[in-house]
Amino acid sequence: MSRLYTRLNGPVRKLALALATLGLLSPTRARAEVDPAAAIGILQERCASCHGEPRMSGLDLRSLQGLLEGGSRGPSIVPGDARASGLYQAVCCDGELRMPLQGNPLSAAELGVIESWIDAGAKWPAGAASIRSEPWWSFQPVVRPAVPQHGVAWARSPIDRFIARGWEESGLAGVREADRRTWIRRATYDLHGLPPTPQEVEAFLTDESPAAFEAAVERLLESKRYGERWGRYWLDVVRYADSGGFETDIYFPDAWRYRDYVIGSFNDDKPFDRFILEQVAADEIWPDDLELRGSYEIPPEKRRNLEARIGTGMYTVGTVYHEAALNGHQLRYEWLVDAVDITGEAFLGLTVGCARCHDHKFDPLTQQEYHGLMAFFEGTEIRRIPVVHKMSELGHYSAYPRQLKVFEYQRALKDLESSARKRMTDRIAGRFPDDVVTAFRIPKAERTVQQQMQAAILERALTEAGLLENPGGYAAELPYTPEERSRRETLIRELGEAAAGARFALPTATVLGRAEVRYAVRMTDRGDWRPTGESVSPAFPSALGGTATAASADRRTALATWLADPSNPLPARVMANRTWQGHFGRGLVGTPNNFGRQGELPAHAELLDWLAAEFVESGWSVKHLHRLIMLSSVYRLSSRFDAANAAADPDNRMIWRMNRRRLDAESVRDAVLAVAGTLNLKAGGPPARPPLSPEERLGMWNQDHWPESLDPAEHRRRSVYVFAKRQFPYPMFKTFDAPDPAASCGRRAVTTVAPQALTLLNSDFVVEASRSLARRLESIDQPERKVDRAWKLAFARPASQTERAAGAAMLAEAGPEEFARMIFNLNEFVYID
Amino acid sequence: MQSKHAASLPSRRQFLENAGLGFGGLAASLLLERDSMGAPASNPLAPKPAPLPAQAKSVIFLFMHGGPSHLDTFDPKPLLQQHHGQPVPESFRTLDFQFTKMDRVPLLGSPRTFRRRGESGLEVSDLFSHVGRHADDLAVIRSCHHDGFTHITGQNWMNTGWAQVGRPSLGSWVVYGLGSESEDLPAYVVMLDGGIKSGSPAYGSGFLPAMYQGTLLRSEGPPILNIRRPAGTDAAGQRRLLDRLQAFNRRHLEARGEDSELAARMNAYELAFRMQASAPEVVDLSQETAATQALYGLDSDVTRPFGKQCLLARRMVERGVRFVQLYSGCATNGPSPGWDGHNQIDQNHETMAAQVDRPIAGLLEDLKARGLLGETLVVWGGDFGRTPFTDGGESGARNNAGRDHNPYGFTVWMAGGGVRGGQVVGATDEIGLNAVEDRVHVHDLHATMLTLLGLDHVKLSYPFQGRDFRLTDVGGSNNLARRLTSG
Repeated sequence: MSRLYTRLNGPVRKLALALATLGLLSPTRARAEVDPAAAIGILQERCASCHGEPRMSGLDLRSLQGLLEGGSRGPSIVPGDARASGLYQAVCCDGELRMPLQGNPLSAAELGVIESWIDAGAKWPAGAASIRSEPWWSFQPVVRPAVPQHGVAWARSPIDRFIARGWEESGLAGVREADRRTWIRRATYDLHGLPPTPQEVEAFLTDESPAAFEAAVERLLESKRYGERWGRYWLDVVRYADSGGFETDIYFPDAWRYRDYVIGSFNDDKPFDRFILEQVAADEIWPDDLELRGSYEIPPEKRRNLEARIGTGMYTVGTVYHEAALNGHQLRYEWLVDAVDITGEAFLGLTVGCARCHDHKFDPLTQQEYHGLMAFFEGTEIRRIPVVHKMSELGHYSAYPRQLKVFEYQRALKDLESSARKRMTDRIAGRFPDDVVTAFRIPKAERTVQQQMQAAILERALTEAGLLENPGGYAAELPYTPEERSRRETLIRELGEAAAGARFALPTATVLGRAEVRYAVRMTDRGDWRPTGESVSPAFPSALGGTATAASADRRTALATWLADPSNPLPARVMANRTWQGHFGRGLVGTPNNFGRQGELPAHAELLDWLAAEFVESGWSVKHLHRLIMLSSVYRLSSRFDAANAAADPDNRMIWRMNRRRLDAESVRDAVLAVAGTLNLKAGGPPARPPLSPEERLGMWNQDHWPESLDPAEHRRRSVYVFAKRQFPYPMFKTFDAPDPAASCGRRAVTTVAPQALTLLNSDFVVEASRSLARRLESIDQPERKVDRAWKLAFARPASQTERAAGAAMLAEAGPEEFARMIFNLNEFVYID
Repeated sequence: MQSKHAASLPSRRQFLENAGLGFGGLAASLLLERDSMGAPASNPLAPKPAPLPAQAKSVIFLFMHGGPSHLDTFDPKPLLQQHHGQPVPESFRTLDFQFTKMDRVPLLGSPRTFRRRGESGLEVSDLFSHVGRHADDLAVIRSCHHDGFTHITGQNWMNTGWAQVGRPSLGSWVVYGLGSESEDLPAYVVMLDGGIKSGSPAYGSGFLPAMYQGTLLRSEGPPILNIRRPAGTDAAGQRRLLDRLQAFNRRHLEARGEDSELAARMNAYELAFRMQASAPEVVDLSQETAATQALYGLDSDVTRPFGKQCLLARRMVERGVRFVQLYSGCATNGPSPGWDGHNQIDQNHETMAAQVDRPIAGLLEDLKARGLLGETLVVWGGDFGRTPFTDGGESGARNNAGRDHNPYGFTVWMAGGGVRGGQVVGATDEIGLNAVEDRVHVHDLHATMLTLLGLDHVKLSYPFQGRDFRLTDVGGSNNLARRLTSG
């Protein structure tokens, strides 16, 4: 049933729901023959996946006893009186409670069966099979489907056979294929987030071998640019940022190691199951240290274990509640919540967060089960560990005296400041009566109310003079004597010299480790952090076939192993779907982080399962999925509009054409730099901080929180390496729909608004890139050839005759910089066919 | 409305013909449609009719950054005065504060003088003697509350209806629900005099599409980010660039057939171009008379910065901007107290109120004189209120004459937008710590504001993470709209 149902077209379902809401499909409730087996069948089909195992709202409809006991709303049936039965009222959708929550309402015939059955006393035949809970589609095991026999002539890949069947069933005809230029531009942006160079385009066009497409895909997959593109998608999913958010927005000094780990994992085509194990529990599965062998060099296998452990950084880069928390326990609780939520969304494609406070309303997850998931993370702590050999770590402290020297200069400066401040304070105090000064000198905790008022008079004067110390701040200007002033300058110079020779930071990584103390996870009241209820053991959600696990020491290992087990149907489906989305702009399931009941049903359930099966059987190779998809015929389709197809499938869910896609925020910036010829391809390392204009800085709370990178080459690095500050996202990215890292983002919104136009028309960034592109075109002699070159760089195609003429005219009238600026603003620049 | 730039149309067409690029039916109709109809056909921010009868069309939200004291402004507490300096009574000691432990600090009476003002006799302290002249326009809600006792959580609550980051801001919801009346200005404008502690999430669109986010507008220099044309490019030059750009875009579009996204992007460029002309116009205060400028306090160094913001706010709602938020008391560089009176609340609030009192009074008077007050809802508030006892000193306060943050009971007032003035809603307890009578949660405040704008706060929702999110979450049942507007 569910499989059939998933093929129902979205619009049809919507229409049915709409009509039902309007009362147009309101059942006539025809009297039906009393048929207990049919009634029980309906309960099985329509109700038991939520009200069985698990028991949502405490209700289990799989037996008469369960019906009579009911759930949190009381008994669900009154035998002999359907209209007084809660169950019947709910499925009639007459009142506040409307069931089932998802999918079509019950038909008139079905309602009739239920009504007559209850009215006749709700007999449960002794021989009736007990009801099985039919799991939700995404919870059912992945079964590799047979490849359909459709589209044989057109298909290059099994994928195409599924697509062809979809077209046939929906009365669609695929559009023609795109030309090879369009394909290579599409493929390059898909895998690299960058435009192909004119040479790459030329090489592909002139490669007449039958394996030209394979070769192109291989070349793209082998480049390090691939991980930078696909790593970024994963960073969206795991809500990556370099700081913790809120007012203090604490800086994560080594979060970039996790970012580089993600990029490296994609480049290495790390098996995805291994990727899961590492991020959830590498410290438990591959425990290691860095010090036992060798002298200063770390042996390769130890290095690998360390690399794996950096994967646990996934759980260290979320929002940190810091100053908003009352105490460490609340901080820890909020961290646990974040850990469970991100695990659910990233690996299972389930939004479990609702169950923090109450049983999930739509998905089969109770609050108890949510806390069971939390318990896997209890006993874990975030730890900053050195990533150098123990010998090097100790060596670091041999250089500590140089740091001490820096501290000495800082202290001397502070003393100088205090003495100037004191002198000035005394001078001002001298103007006030003795009792005021006396009151001021008394420690404030010991002052009487009278003395408080007196002291306040002097304090006010001192504040006005800028003499009351600002916590955390230094006085900008104090009335130094000439001797003090000169000594201060000397000290500052010597401080700088000392700092230049000192070594401050020991290289570290932030990872998970075992906590010294493991607290019990307790049920809480509606999501409040204060533990109030019974303690909960680690357990997997029952709807996913989970059971309680032995409370072993390695709890996260148990969770990771369960997640990465091929029999868990969700992770492979979810990742196959994310991969599909990266190539078509939309997944087979349009809600990549929600495979639950509030999510979208798959347009191609069997294709998704086929991909998931291939994925697992290939050893969880994401690159294998890329090859399968990119070498298919459907991936070659043109993005051309077709009115007849659009009438039948306006959302292109059956993929009768390629979706035209706008570049995402990072690709817009990277493409501008690449076409300008100034992109710095340096990979990895601490985040780059490009300059901000004063207008951009407006609204940043701590102005010193964005120290601009001094090396201008850093300003032109790929966007994935730009500082990701939670409280102040890089303005250009935000303008082009980069997600808020407050939560996991499975799919970005795409908006089209005027500030994007203003950014590309007027920003310093684009003006400078225009200058660079103009310089790049300088050496070309004829204007028409300049235009042609620009077109090839930006659009991977030569300019047409008309375009050359119009472009050359513009070059003559407006100059090369304005011409270059126009290029970056064209629709063709930011849209991929 | 007729496009202000219709005059440039012939030259554009001229260019297209001269350049030999031509333009066929579809693109041309797009172009002409926009020029004759005003609003672009596929503008996602096109105005939408309010689903319910609306009192207000736009909002000006005056945000006192740091948290203004209700006890020293709009909520007098005689009993607190009497018990000044005494310990906090046992029965009150049940709450958490960011810095203060209630058993260690004395009560702090207000040093201000309250007076009954207007025909209604509404009590307003001498900090707001100018605003007090408009007492009969104010509905003072004294029983507001939430539970965020830090600036971030307080600002998040007030702006996004949730303590944590990630939810869309009030202004974003309003624009999502109603669209924009202005074709050439952003629908949702935020003016700051420095950084705000909660950062851009306070005016961000959260999980709503980015087009609903607030746009920062500066009163000095280029008003909007990237609005200034590159050096050496004048308006005519930019127009020429745009004409060429659009001609190429039209060819690109025609070659591809139907694509509303491509067409929408072309429209966005036209809007951007119009913004480049209208944004400098809206911030050009020289168009205002000396009397108007003086009304807003532009004649004094103390009141000029906030006065400018208030005057700009009026100019924007006049031009159809839906939601304007003004901040007073942000930092320009490093930590500055703003309204955050941990130390010497008296001096702090005297300084801060002096900056905003005349401008806010001027705004109310000007809106009224121009007949705009009826359709403009003016709201005054901040992160939270302040405690009736002294700050514990753990915040770095140097003496015991300051107040800590108090989210459990505080004041917000509303004026205009159909709200009947001269009334008081709710009450805090005897010392002004907790909202006790007719409690108004932030969700209720938001529900009230949305209702005044003709939006149903229960139906205004957006699907995210598997459920339909609302600004008012599951709250908002104490919707004051009907009571505020009746009588």
